Amino acid sequence: MTEMLPDKVRRISQHLRSNTRLINYYWQRTKRNKLAVCGLAFIIFLVALALIGPFFTLDPTVANFEKKNMPPLGFTIEQSIYNIETDEYTTKEISGTWEHPLGTDSKGRDMLAMIVSGARVSLLVGLIATGIAIILGTIIGVLSAYLGGWVDNALMRFTDIMMTFPFFLLLVLIIFIFGPSLAFIVLAIGLTGWTGIARLIRSESLSLRTREFIVAAKALGASDNRVIFHHLIPNVISLIIVIATLSIPGVILAEAALSFIGLGDPTVPSWGIILEAGQYSLNTAWWVAVEPGIMLFLTVLAFNFLGDGLRDAFDPKSNV
Amino acid sequence: MNNAILKVSDLKTYFFTSRGIVKAVDGVDFELRRGECLCLVGESGCGKTVTALSILRLFDSPPGKIVCGKISYDTLNLTKCSSKQLRQIRGKDIAMVFQEAQSALNPVLTIGDQIIEQIKLHLPLDHIMARDRAITLLSEMGIPSAERVMSYYPHQLSGGMKQRVLIAMSLSCDPQILIADEPTTAVDVTIKAQILDIFRELKAKRQMSTLFITHDLAVVAEIGDRATVMYGGKDVETASVSEIISNPKHPYTSGLIDCLPDTSKSTGRLASIPGTTPNPIQMPQGCAFHPRCPKVMKICSRQEPPETTISKEHKVSCHLYT
Repeated sequence: MTEMLPDKVRRISQHLRSNTRLINYYWQRTKRNKLAVCGLAFIIFLVALALIGPFFTLDPTVANFEKKNMPPLGFTIEQSIYNIETDEYTTKEISGTWEHPLGTDSKGRDMLAMIVSGARVSLLVGLIATGIAIILGTIIGVLSAYLGGWVDNALMRFTDIMMTFPFFLLLVLIIFIFGPSLAFIVLAIGLTGWTGIARLIRSESLSLRTREFIVAAKALGASDNRVIFHHLIPNVISLIIVIATLSIPGVILAEAALSFIGLGDPTVPSWGIILEAGQYSLNTAWWVAVEPGIMLFLTVLAFNFLGDGLRDAFDPKSNV
Repeated sequence: MNNAILKVSDLKTYFFTSRGIVKAVDGVDFELRRGECLCLVGESGCGKTVTALSILRLFDSPPGKIVCGKISYDTLNLTKCSSKQLRQIRGKDIAMVFQEAQSALNPVLTIGDQIIEQIKLHLPLDHIMARDRAITLLSEMGIPSAERVMSYYPHQLSGGMKQRVLIAMSLSCDPQILIADEPTTAVDVTIKAQILDIFRELKAKRQMSTLFITHDLAVVAEIGDRATVMYGGKDVETASVSEIISNPKHPYTSGLIDCLPDTSKSTGRLASIPGTTPNPIQMPQGCAFHPRCPKVMKICSRQEPPETTISKEHKVSCHLYT
């Protein structure tokens, strides 16, 4: 037994080394797409922001009406203040301060803190909902292609029905029934978003299924389970990575859109919720709506660029 | 004289397609004896590969179906086995080597992963023992620095190397029978010679019973002990290889042998058998070969020829000898 441990370590390290070589290859291909690299950099920044940002910012839930509607750093606005004793409006110039570099909202909450905690929520929504959709889509797609026959028919017709059903209406219905809790919103997006993925995975698996190595695996005694999880799914991983990257922004936007029409979870400050709150004070405090909007815009763009880059890198036919 | 390890009798595998019933294998009989190399010979589309796939029931079903026949291995009839039983036989008792090494290896797994997976599936070994076994096997197949090759992906190996890896993989659980489906077709001549050497060695060292499928009579002459010639989904002639080559009885067999280029005569056209392989949906009546046969008789188009025994080891299905 004493000899086995170093051997195991050696085996794992060897495996990692051989994998870095492959990862390195794809990285070299992805690297040539500058936009994809920018996208990746922004996503890494965003993840870091979401993970460690909240420890450095102010508490996003603390309201302070003394300091409401403060503009971001570098901007100065005129604010009229109603004085209840003299019953008249006085105009005062307010500039952004270092204390609230992105300004404050109509309740005096720090915008930077809200954006940072919003990043956490939006990324989480994006990752979890996409994860659910990917897992469902992959299982349904692979099973459909591998088993064929009536199973394929049944699963694909079910997919068709899910596809033709208006996605947004379904979401609204689910939220109306179960209430606007973030967990249900994520679940609802995930449970409706798998259809396109299942179709793509199915078509890819269909061509893989007839490949000789699948028959060869069976000839050497592999069970169906083994063929699916050991031989089919690893071969569609690159496709899954690309689909996941490209569907995360859609999910983030869907959550924002739901929040914007007032179906979001009001207890969790996602970007959509902040945006929705900001739309009413656009003429007095434009930054409350614009800042989460810019973040959404950049995030969606970053994921799309990265997804495009990855798709080109994984596609052996493209010459990047 | 019961040294047959695998006996196929009256095997019929049909494919039920929308265009009709494809009788890919339509009554094949042969037996593979312990420690011998039996060659299954015939042109493309004569049912060689489907016969091999039928033994392990690897064709897609539906549309494929074994409609009748018996495949006896040990005490088992493989056509009646449950798919679970069959799965334990595949790889462990009967292993198969495929034609194209390129596509028979999973492109996203390392060579090591694939062989170790296969070993652990059938043998009670832990990862490290399985790994050692895999490395030994690879070196036995003449792969240099086998330990490094274990961490390679298939695309990093040459065609000949891949074919060796495949053979190593199919041998990893000490199967009783090896089915090789044209393992030399997709490689160039030097690799072909090396692979044939491996098969020869297998026979010498391990007394491996091999069912070798090929369309190449030169290969048959190289490694075969006996040969079964197939045409139109049926076996038409079975004999020892030397007998088949020196004394072919069936007109199709003699046609095939005439097609071999003769290097002593440098000029002239290569001989060929006129016509093409019959449409498997609409096989000719009677003997399937009669439309192309140079010695065709009236009876050939009416009646299927029965099997005739020429000598103890030489059987042929042709009206010429009845």
